[in-house]
Amino acid sequence: MADYAPVDLAADNLVTFELNGRTVSAPAGTMLVDAAYAAGVEIPIFCYEPRLGPPIGACRMCLVEIEGMRGLQTACSTPVTEDMVVRTNSPMAKDAQDGVLEMLLAQHPLDCPVCDKGGECPLQDRTFKFGPGKSRFIEPKRHFPKPIELSSRIALDRERCISCFRCVRFSQDVAQDGQLTMQERGARSEITTFTGDAYEARFSGNITDICPVGALTSIPYRFVARPWDITNTPSVCGSCPVGCNTELTTRDGELKRITGRDTPNVAVEEGWLCDKGRWGYDIAMSPNRLSAPVVREAVGDRTVSIEDGVAAAASLLTGRRVGILLGGAVTLEEAGIALDLATNGTLDNAVVARLGVASGNCAPVRAATGAQLGDIDAADLVVIVGGDPAAQQPIVELRVRKARRFGARVIGCGARPHALESLGDFTRTAPGHLADGMMGLADAISNAARPVVLWDEADLASDPGAIAALTALLAASPHATQLMLGADVNGVGLSALGVSTTGLFEAIAADEVDAVICVHADPLEAAGSIAWQAVFDGFRGPVIAIATYASAMTERADLVLPALTMWEQEGTLVSMTHRAQRLRPGAAGPAQAAAGWELLIAIAHHLGHPPAYRTAASAFTHTVASHPAFFGMTTDLIGTDGVVIGAWPADDVSPAAIVADPDHLVLVATRDTFGDDMTARSHALRTAVSAPVLRMHPATAQALWLNEHDHAVLISDVGSSSALPVLCDARVAEGLIVGPLGAPGSPIEGALSRNQHQAIVRVERT
Amino acid sequence: MPILNSVYRHREAGHVLTELVAYRAAGGFAAIEQSIGEMEPDDLLYVFHRSGLRGRGGAGFPMGRKASFLPKDAKLAKYVVCNADESEPGTFKDREIIEMNPFQLIEGMVLAGYAIGADRGYIYIRGEYEHQARVLDAALIAAREAGFLGDNILRSDFSYDITLYRGAGAYICGEETGLLESLEGKRGQPRLKPPFPAVAGLYSSPTLINNVETLSALPPIVTQGADWYAALGPEKSPGTKIFSVSGHVQRPGNYEVVLGETTLRELIYEHAGGLREGHQVKAVWVGGSSVPVLGAMHLDTPLDYESLNAAGTFLGSGGCIVMDDSGCIVRATLRLASFYRHESCGKCTPCREGTNWMERILQRMVDGEGRMEDLELLESLFGRISGKVLCALADGAVAPVASAIKMFREDFVAAVTDGGTPRPAPMSVVEVR
Repeated sequence: MADYAPVDLAADNLVTFELNGRTVSAPAGTMLVDAAYAAGVEIPIFCYEPRLGPPIGACRMCLVEIEGMRGLQTACSTPVTEDMVVRTNSPMAKDAQDGVLEMLLAQHPLDCPVCDKGGECPLQDRTFKFGPGKSRFIEPKRHFPKPIELSSRIALDRERCISCFRCVRFSQDVAQDGQLTMQERGARSEITTFTGDAYEARFSGNITDICPVGALTSIPYRFVARPWDITNTPSVCGSCPVGCNTELTTRDGELKRITGRDTPNVAVEEGWLCDKGRWGYDIAMSPNRLSAPVVREAVGDRTVSIEDGVAAAASLLTGRRVGILLGGAVTLEEAGIALDLATNGTLDNAVVARLGVASGNCAPVRAATGAQLGDIDAADLVVIVGGDPAAQQPIVELRVRKARRFGARVIGCGARPHALESLGDFTRTAPGHLADGMMGLADAISNAARPVVLWDEADLASDPGAIAALTALLAASPHATQLMLGADVNGVGLSALGVSTTGLFEAIAADEVDAVICVHADPLEAAGSIAWQAVFDGFRGPVIAIATYASAMTERADLVLPALTMWEQEGTLVSMTHRAQRLRPGAAGPAQAAAGWELLIAIAHHLGHPPAYRTAASAFTHTVASHPAFFGMTTDLIGTDGVVIGAWPADDVSPAAIVADPDHLVLVATRDTFGDDMTARSHALRTAVSAPVLRMHPATAQALWLNEHDHAVLISDVGSSSALPVLCDARVAEGLIVGPLGAPGSPIEGALSRNQHQAIVRVERT
Repeated sequence: MPILNSVYRHREAGHVLTELVAYRAAGGFAAIEQSIGEMEPDDLLYVFHRSGLRGRGGAGFPMGRKASFLPKDAKLAKYVVCNADESEPGTFKDREIIEMNPFQLIEGMVLAGYAIGADRGYIYIRGEYEHQARVLDAALIAAREAGFLGDNILRSDFSYDITLYRGAGAYICGEETGLLESLEGKRGQPRLKPPFPAVAGLYSSPTLINNVETLSALPPIVTQGADWYAALGPEKSPGTKIFSVSGHVQRPGNYEVVLGETTLRELIYEHAGGLREGHQVKAVWVGGSSVPVLGAMHLDTPLDYESLNAAGTFLGSGGCIVMDDSGCIVRATLRLASFYRHESCGKCTPCREGTNWMERILQRMVDGEGRMEDLELLESLFGRISGKVLCALADGAVAPVASAIKMFREDFVAAVTDGGTPRPAPMSVVEVR
């Protein structure tokens, strides 16, 4: 993994020093290991991992000779200074490297041929490069039962552990879950959790990436492939709007593993992944995966080939007024093709809309200087307005914790409690009253040198007062930057293409549409599902579902075309920080399925209007050419690291304001990444799933005559939820109910209005 | 030759000084009364500096200089930490101070705290010293009640209190940064230096950390003057030092002597009553177990820092372990190697693996499975362990093994050629596991 920190050789504070007789430069303060690596000299390391915080100098692998200093120095903890004279290959330094490797290998089992790390193991590589070649250790090695389950996803082989403390530091300092520790001491040290229980944490998988030996390995990947028969493809994660950069490991056309990249994207995830992004891919093999087109007829369902499915789609659409509904995670290419078909005469005047949060009214906030996640590192003040980033945009949590570690102050306000509140001072506000909370933040923001304001898209969209207040705050603080905590995976991309959340629902209701195509969209399981159900109940035209998994809409549709997952297809997603990034396929997918963009192009061909593009890349070029936010963008420019898109005119409508008042209860829907339908279907994540509950203050529950664990339904003026258990949490504001968005069976979506994550409700016990 | 009970005021008084009135009657707290609110803190610091007092915990770093490293303009709180984690094999001098003369340590800590402008003091006492912790706790309460601790000590502007903290049983917590980690509630492991504790110690605040004996030496220095102390013994490192004598001697115990005025022979034969009838000195670890071993030819070495260095060893903690010719140096060396293997914290690779390796090799020698090449193997390991790590534990682990092989090589060769070492009757080797 990313062992050495990137070095900016164009910085203006370069110092020049001598390295193995050469004169090289690096910015002052750069650790010698990093400076040397940037200059092409590898100083071997094991415990050093710049992302884990300050060096600890434990493994002693990086000992080098520095003129004028007594003995050898650890290059991982020695900053470069002007005129320093360093020798990494002198007899003394080489003997030390040799010695440390001999010690590391003394008790390390030589089971490389059956070790999952073999072939991509830093200990193996550095032993070849710097090691003694032969061991003089003839004593019996230490033995442990091997391996044990550190958790249901991570295997621990204690014999292989070289006590580099990386995993412990990740748990203690980066994720701050406080679970991992070293037990016993000396040669008997072993990694374990404090309590001896399984290491259950949302970022736990990162320790398998940073382990420099085969001590911590991924159980789903155990004995699945060897490094020489896999292909690694850089891609991005489409599980949430953050857009973490990933690497997909493919063997024989099948996706076998997802890891952080060797070269992390410091602007986004810095190489860390949440466990869902890492292990959730097994849902592509789950039983409700759609693998062949289905034509639904009066006599029953008929499975057909993909060619016949596309032909059937074309014939269903011919001569009809079409509506296209896009899900929140469809790619720019798919949306671009849909828009193109609607305007180029293929599907005359088709209505194109998307599912997701309407947040056009947030445009004034978005217009302020935007930040990338990486910019949070350097902030001296992190402000979190609304939202629940730890649950909804997981990796943000690690960035905020990092900033806090570096000394930033963390403040904020919001309606619901969240995991990051323990890092600083937060005020609880009633829904619709975020502006009140922001008044208390104004001084801190204007006094800070580099404040970053993280604001929740869904919360602000239904709180016009908050938009005005935050716009004013940002305008008054010239140093402040803002970062949206987005609601939909590609919400920014779709919005930038001008795809609105409205229009189609109204068109169907007004009988202005005769056929509907749902692309990765299930309105019957989305916010406002009851209203959608009502219009589809009255809709007599054909419905075509282009979808990956079975859902309410694929059951309702007249034709189902199976589509590929985000791990199997090409495409472009724009993250919540406006970063366009490329999906690249790491798996083939079922034979009778195709990418959404491919299906749309094929349908156009069948309709007799071959579009001007054939591939995802040419569809991308065609799409971006007509949208100002993407002017000048090419797939080359996006590359592996992504590119921030430009501004676009806000033409989206805004949802109704939800304002709390003493007589009503307010439902705030929160999409817990680990509580949604996708996580629930993953076998690997089975122990990480959080159960859907209605969280409320004990006083609220008491006033409703509810006890903890009682089941209750929420009823709004648009519909009602399914019954869910009550969980009392004194941190929730009184009069507020936090409900699970996207949970299996979409329990609360019925009580929400379309395109909105909040609602006024009353509660009934069941 | 002379005994000078300056730290061991209770010996001078002839009875224990665990009652505050008794300590006062023996001249105690005069140093506090003379300095707190009466002297400028910097002047007091200068007194420490001029006395030439060196740290008595083992490393021997000049106390006044260490205290002067603390930044004067720090905005953070400052702390005095007393290292009472007396775990060096053969060392039991601090134990007697705490048991018999606890107020002198408290007084010394108040003086150190005043000199550096500390906000609080901590005493980190080894977990096994349960009785001693109780004595100290009672003394702290009494000192607080008498106004020598707490707010506005002796109605001055200086407010300072001391917290007693018990360790959980790890040798490494006697290493100053390991101690600080443990005191902060973390796993006891040495920290990367710099920053040194004087700049970023306890809770990242400037911290003065000193041994019990060092801090207890301060009150007499204040009352009798830096010049008096500086005139005791050798010019470069003057003062008194307590030696804990143990092993094959007739009168094991603590002896406080003026540095440089007593030889090792005098310490063993006059103060400690000599060896058992008919036995000769085989080996002496004069400064605890972490120093190179000395043999009979070194008996006339004067006990002071410089002379012992010249003899190839260190004064260390003053834990003087004497072994007569009935003992087996190979087994004794294995016993020490086992200790360091057991106590290595495991943070640095060379120490974690190296102490284990050394023990295994020595164990094979004792068991009769040694090879001649094991001696060269051991010798090649020393340089790869010592000085390659964060703290001094590894140096301490290597010193007794390396020196024993150097000085008593024939015994190790015999262990290999004779198929092991005979178990000597009077010395039972207990495996530490």
